[in-house]
Amino acid sequence: MGAPDMKKGPNTVLMIWLLVVLGGFLWNAALFAAPLLRHEEPFVSAFVYAAFSPVCHQLPERSFSIHGSPLAVCGRCLGIYLGFSAGTILYPFLRRFSRPLLPATSIFVLASLPIGLDTAGNFLGLWASPIGLRLAAGLIWGSVLPFYLITGLYEVRQLLGGKFRLKSPGETK
Amino acid sequence: MNDHKPNMLAPALIGGAVAGVLSSIPFLNCLCCLWIIGGAVLASYLLAKDSPVSLTSGDGAIVGALAGISAAVVDSLVGIPLHGLNVAVIRRMMERLSEFADEMPSGWENWLDRTGGGFSIAMFLMGLFISAAVFAALGALGGIIGASLFGKKKAQGADIAP
Repeated sequence: MGAPDMKKGPNTVLMIWLLVVLGGFLWNAALFAAPLLRHEEPFVSAFVYAAFSPVCHQLPERSFSIHGSPLAVCGRCLGIYLGFSAGTILYPFLRRFSRPLLPATSIFVLASLPIGLDTAGNFLGLWASPIGLRLAAGLIWGSVLPFYLITGLYEVRQLLGGKFRLKSPGETK
Repeated sequence: MNDHKPNMLAPALIGGAVAGVLSSIPFLNCLCCLWIIGGAVLASYLLAKDSPVSLTSGDGAIVGALAGISAAVVDSLVGIPLHGLNVAVIRRMMERLSEFADEMPSGWENWLDRTGGGFSIAMFLMGLFISAAVFAALGALGGIIGASLFGKKKAQGADIAP
């Protein structure tokens, strides 16, 4: 049985990280492009708003605005997506590119508490959070998501490439 | 080799159906993308429940992406009978957009009147394609989260950071 090709492992993680950085940048750029393009390219602007409509209610009263036009998603969603990009930038400093590891469950639970409580309270009508609080809760939760996505994409790459799958310590082939 | 894992299709369809139905109901879709991620987590849970071995995050990503695509299909199909209500929502959106936009596409009000009375195959397919792409990405993320939460079996090491 061959040993894992660890020389290629860091390169694969780096490539995936770069793709995720690029994808996050384009995603966030689109959010801001929708209101910014309403004068020059109204059709493009309308298309971007429509593209994000399946994943966000886009209520203007719950969205930040640029030049009087709302962003393509609400404040909570904006926080998630910006937090995702921030977490992606932080990834190399916390994990490097040697071996993708999933965060501990406790970290995910802690990061999910603010958005979970905020969402539940608003949904049940217990309170109406200000948009800044929604943004902050989204930022916290979004920042841990890249650590899942990058690891998962690495595993998918290994599966599809038929390469050696990361084995747990002690596990034999 | 982990070739004893159950088929991913059933968990993906179930998770996607739940997410698709909940995200298409006008009053419930205020949770934005969280329904899709939640449906993918459910798909991972269902897959892990029937799996004799631990799930990898790659397994979660695949079943989650499939759940996202299923959710897009269900959301689009459920949206057909709700078409009239959705047109009202879209009209409201366009009217709101017109308050902010200096220039709206000419004849947009007539476009709504033309499409509001019937179902457009072209619009349906375009919406389905966009939804499938977006939901697949969100679903993959949810599936990975689900695999990390529910995919570990006892007596097997996990690639989880201490």
